[in-house]
Amino acid sequence: MDPLAAIKVTFFQECEEQLAELESGLLVMQDGAHDDEMINALFRAVHSIKGGAGTFGLEALVRFAHVFETVLDEMRSGKLPVDGNVVAIMLRAADMLADHVRAARDDGTADEERSRAIAGELANLCGISADGPDEVVEEIEGLDFVPVAFAFDDTPPPAPEPEPEIAMPAAAAEPEGPPRETWTITFKPRAALYASGNETAFLLRELQRLGDMDVTVSAAALPLLQDLDPEEGYLVWTVSLVTAAEETAIREVFEFVDGDCDIEVKSARADASGALDVHALIAMATAAGAPAEAREPSPAPMPAAATAPEPDNSDLMEIIKFIDDAKAAVAAEEKGEIAPSLPAADMAAPAAKAAVGQSAAAAQGGAGGAPQAGQTIRVDLERVDRLIDLVGELVINQAMLAQRVAECGLARSSSVAIGLDDLEHLTREIQDSVMAIRAQPVKSVFQRMPRLVREVAAMVGKQVRLVTEGEGTEVDKTVIERLTDPITHMIRNAIDHGLEKTEDRVARGKPAEGTVRLAALHRSGRIVIEVSDDGAGINRERVKNSAISKGLIPANADLSDEEIDNLIFMPGFSTAATVSDISGRGVGMDVVKRSIQALGGRITIASEPGRGSTFTLSLPLTLAVLDGMVVSVCGQTLVAPLTGVVETLQPKASDVRSLGPNGTVIQIRETYLPLIDVGVQLGYRDTPLLPTSGVALLVEGEGGARAALLVDTIQGQRQVVIKSLEANYRKVPGIAGATILGDGRVALILDVDSVLSAKVTEPPRNQTLLAAAG
Amino acid sequence: MSDSGLKLPAVLDLNAAAPLRSDLLALRGGPVEIDASQVQRIGGLCLQVLMAAKATWANDGKPFEIVSTSAPFLESLKLFGLADPSLEPAQERAS
Repeated sequence: MDPLAAIKVTFFQECEEQLAELESGLLVMQDGAHDDEMINALFRAVHSIKGGAGTFGLEALVRFAHVFETVLDEMRSGKLPVDGNVVAIMLRAADMLADHVRAARDDGTADEERSRAIAGELANLCGISADGPDEVVEEIEGLDFVPVAFAFDDTPPPAPEPEPEIAMPAAAAEPEGPPRETWTITFKPRAALYASGNETAFLLRELQRLGDMDVTVSAAALPLLQDLDPEEGYLVWTVSLVTAAEETAIREVFEFVDGDCDIEVKSARADASGALDVHALIAMATAAGAPAEAREPSPAPMPAAATAPEPDNSDLMEIIKFIDDAKAAVAAEEKGEIAPSLPAADMAAPAAKAAVGQSAAAAQGGAGGAPQAGQTIRVDLERVDRLIDLVGELVINQAMLAQRVAECGLARSSSVAIGLDDLEHLTREIQDSVMAIRAQPVKSVFQRMPRLVREVAAMVGKQVRLVTEGEGTEVDKTVIERLTDPITHMIRNAIDHGLEKTEDRVARGKPAEGTVRLAALHRSGRIVIEVSDDGAGINRERVKNSAISKGLIPANADLSDEEIDNLIFMPGFSTAATVSDISGRGVGMDVVKRSIQALGGRITIASEPGRGSTFTLSLPLTLAVLDGMVVSVCGQTLVAPLTGVVETLQPKASDVRSLGPNGTVIQIRETYLPLIDVGVQLGYRDTPLLPTSGVALLVEGEGGARAALLVDTIQGQRQVVIKSLEANYRKVPGIAGATILGDGRVALILDVDSVLSAKVTEPPRNQTLLAAAG
Repeated sequence: MSDSGLKLPAVLDLNAAAPLRSDLLALRGGPVEIDASQVQRIGGLCLQVLMAAKATWANDGKPFEIVSTSAPFLESLKLFGLADPSLEPAQERAS
């Protein structure tokens, strides 16, 4: 990847983080809580995106971010009150900004019409917030408006005046129309500036936005072509800028190249008072080819351009010393008024940083930003995965070692055995820590939902409130990545099908605003995600009729409520009378169910007429390891996931009853449960094991269905590393995956739910399993 | 010695600077006509290369001319503080 592209990738990653921060901030505001610091944070988020976008020349993004930023700035200065309407517009604007970012990332274009409409709304916010029409006019007249390519053609603002104000954030930032001032900005990019993907042209263009600009460029230090390092910076730009903007606004332009260029910002006022002409000295020094400061050695003797004077070396040293003295004098003199950070000085960078410190802290985008109190690092996922693989091997290896030691007949109390126990603890700890690296809060998925809810709610014309809980719940990254689609679909469904129309809700005495709840929690080693609504609940009559009319079930089928609810997971099922734009995209709940199952998860429904429905997803925290109970069936070793095992028991002959020709039930305390012979179920044997000679595992499926699984013996309990059978062989019914045991043999991992449901449906396929296990 | 022409690519960014320099160096010793009609974007580094080339050719006493330009090219030059495609920087500001 070329360096520019790599930097761009980082920029977009950071954009996503800023967008997330922006949205969560706005959502907090929506709930009525806000403070100055929060508004500042929002401003910085948008500003950082704009800054980075400017660097990459993403015009559409810059334009939109610019308007957004202006409104936030108004809010920051207290001129725009924070109310529900404003926040609602801002939320839409945040969505639009996200669209712009993604469009820029994928080299596409965002919906310009929508962008203009939202920008227009934002602009109107600013318009009405102006202190008075006179002042607005005054402010505008006081500025030489530099037109920015920003079209409002579709949405004319109410008054013509506010429009230019939007294009001039600097003006808006001032509480009272400030006097225009002339600034002289001397700016010399270094190689590092270009190398990090920044560009002089963008910086100049940003300056141009601030006011009336006159640019001169000095080629005095430019060598002849043969001596030119094409990636070094030689030119020095001097910009004379007439603007009402403050020095900080000017310095913000250079925020992302801080440290990668020599820059000096001076006001005319300071110029007049300063007795020393630092410019001239610097120009001379630079012209002589003096290394402006510590950087990689420039291509040896840099010949001066024909026009430049050629001072000898001693002159040069004097000049440099003089500059240093002058710089100190000027800095001392002007302290408090402006804080110039002079070029040719090692302290230039820190000075500039101090000047823009606050905003820079939030936006360490681009390159060259000093690492901020390093709490996080970005690591290639591949490296983490490799580590996880290795730890998996370590676990297997440790298990094998333990088995060898056991085979040697060493006592449990022997030092070797004790050492091995320690090793096992350590291995487990390492494994947990490594898994924790991959674990991420579900927040990243949940954060996308508020926008979805807003959009879907607007589309179907319902009032919806999204409540999220447990955003901090952590789960493996792979699981997270594959959660977005199912959750998105379930939320769409909840709004489109689950919630009643507003008038129906009111008629039933419910609040007009429907609530969709999205919650995540850890429950016995799994992550549970619940999507619930307070709508009408599943209309079982309609679901059943629909299934019958589609031929999915026979007309005379006698189904329990739970069975009816589960019909909606059947392929080809859709209750919507008309295929709606929202849910009816050819993706049904069956797809959701399949994708959840592919993750080793289960989905269940609980629905109460008139009260709403709850979809519960239960997923493993990681796809890499599981705690299992190792059992033997017909000489084969199987692993039953411990999460599904409730208890184990030795069946007594008196508790076992036959039911029908093939069925057996076992009485456990007050209830009878089906007794499933795993050996028969998986096709290892044809004749069922005598119940009393085996061990029964009382298991519970995700839906709460219970059964007893009959196995030959229990070997023990251990953590196993899951190896995908699907990826290495193919999917086998009744089997969730495979693992490698301590003795190096492959053991299959039971899919408890699939065994439970298979009991009711199809007969086993003998060949497949034996082949898979072999 | 006949006039050599060089057609500039559409994007003259960081990555284009070194190739541009080599292309120009290869033409050294004779008059050069630059075709900037396709240029959509030019950055500071390529600007430097062109300006250095211009000075080098002047040093050699050979003509170096930009014969055709695109609107974005001219607009960029203006932004960079160059009045026209002669690539002559404005006079150093008197201070």
